[in-house]
Amino acid sequence: MTNNVIETRDLTVYYGKYRGILDVNLSVEKGEVFGFLGPNGAGKTTTQRVLLDVFPPTKGQASVFGKDCQKDGVEIRKHIGYLPGELALYANMRARDFFKMYEYLRKDKKSNGYWKELAERLDLDTSRKISQFSRGNKQKVGIVAAFMDRADLLILDEPTGGLDPLVQKTVLELVRETKADGRTVFFSSHILSEVQAVCDRVGIIRDGQLVATQRVEDLFAQRMNRLTLIFEDHPPVGAFNIEGVSELDLTRQSITLEVRENLPAVLTAAAQHHVMDIETHNISLEEIFLAYYSKDEGDINV
Amino acid sequence: MFRLLVQELKFRRNAIIGWGVGLCFFPLVYIGIYPSVAEEMAGLADLEIYAAMGVNIGTFGDWIGSILVVLLPLVASIYAIGNSTGTLAGEEEDGRLEMLVTLPLPRWQIVTAKALALMISSFLIYLIVSIVSWLVFIGIEGQIETDLMGVDMFRVVLSSWPYVFAMAMIALFLAAFCSRRRFATMISTAILVIGYFGSNLSASTPLLEPFEPFFLHTYLDGTGTAILEGQKTGDILVLLGVGAVALLLAVIFFQRRKLTVGAWPWQRDKVEK
Repeated sequence: MTNNVIETRDLTVYYGKYRGILDVNLSVEKGEVFGFLGPNGAGKTTTQRVLLDVFPPTKGQASVFGKDCQKDGVEIRKHIGYLPGELALYANMRARDFFKMYEYLRKDKKSNGYWKELAERLDLDTSRKISQFSRGNKQKVGIVAAFMDRADLLILDEPTGGLDPLVQKTVLELVRETKADGRTVFFSSHILSEVQAVCDRVGIIRDGQLVATQRVEDLFAQRMNRLTLIFEDHPPVGAFNIEGVSELDLTRQSITLEVRENLPAVLTAAAQHHVMDIETHNISLEEIFLAYYSKDEGDINV
Repeated sequence: MFRLLVQELKFRRNAIIGWGVGLCFFPLVYIGIYPSVAEEMAGLADLEIYAAMGVNIGTFGDWIGSILVVLLPLVASIYAIGNSTGTLAGEEEDGRLEMLVTLPLPRWQIVTAKALALMISSFLIYLIVSIVSWLVFIGIEGQIETDLMGVDMFRVVLSSWPYVFAMAMIALFLAAFCSRRRFATMISTAILVIGYFGSNLSASTPLLEPFEPFFLHTYLDGTGTAILEGQKTGDILVLLGVGAVALLLAVIFFQRRKLTVGAWPWQRDKVEK
């Protein structure tokens, strides 16, 4: 039996003639935090909405907990906590009344007033009307609603949008705690640092297509190296024309290289010249991400 | 579904009080002033313009029928249309519907709970108006000549509720069908206005007579006889039937709708080759 909480096969959504997502094949394992990365309009929200049966796919299949998202949508949603990217709340309600209503509508026994604890952690005044809240506080309301029933699967669409850094940190802590409970998080974001901080695996979606799915550490393991070699004299011309190596910068005494593969060959070539120093630079997930999205190359670069 | 219904009724609490109190204007003013203008109105009873408006003012029964059976449901339908289109289409536009449809509730239950909330809220509004009508009638009873009794006011007011129910369900269907509230409101209002004038004109113009059954207002009888004897069972059943069919269509179309993306039900996806 599969251990996948989410599984999609050739999932395709068109809005009339406009592409939403195209042949997305995705699997999210139980107990992991899966980062779903992509710029605006890439298809992140569309994918989530299909999982929640907000609309059906044009083609392909999606299942959650082994059940079909369209046929068993109600049963599936009993076990999902959802934070929409475009959060709209009942403005005239007080936050506490909204949570009580949400608890009541979900027939939620697991919650048992957990929203109070969450609101306290997020420093949210639940006695105020939602209409009086800033964008960040409204986002906190959405976060509490998503986490309050300790659902087996959390689908969070850009959860830290509009939050200050301290609250962002608390939200990431909540995600980690969810994982520690053995529950699963589908974490959609375009903020790479937070994906890097909490996710086990990432899926990168571009123009509606899932272009890569990898463990975060693997992504780093095969990450690009950036080296600056400092020579006694002028850097040797053409010495680093090696496959998988690009020259980024050349000065009177140094050369900066981006090394995607063949690092030993680079070091061998460097050893044949008078190298005074070698500087290495860490490349962030953001740079790897940008490499995926590089339009110049027209294809995946990593 | 019961939980959602309770919640939907809570949302409508202020509207029930507001509209209930607001619509009491009808009995307070129109029943209240009757004793002082009864003689003048008897003289105006034969004017064609009143007939065209579906208003008859010959006797107290006619007058009550014109106000509480003909005009009151028209105004109450504004509540019904506004509230029906605000739900589903309105909530979809402002984004709240996404929170609702991602709860573990089947869509048919969402539509049905909202429909029941609309029915109950409009009925409660009518209940407030009927109680006030009764009380106002008791106040003027000694000053007028009529066979009607206080309790009849109650019955007369409530007898036009099926019309409001039908309009509410038509508007709800349009809100489930369209992704835009303004379209749903526009079409519902057109049905209301055309139904009212169409019914009255077709009743007085032989050329339009064949179209009379198609206007919803035809099934409201505001004559003095109907006030005394009650609305025809067949008319009530037609109105309830129209409402029920509209509700069924609302459930079917909402079930099929691609929500949150403003898609029309007939829009079909075209996968690029």
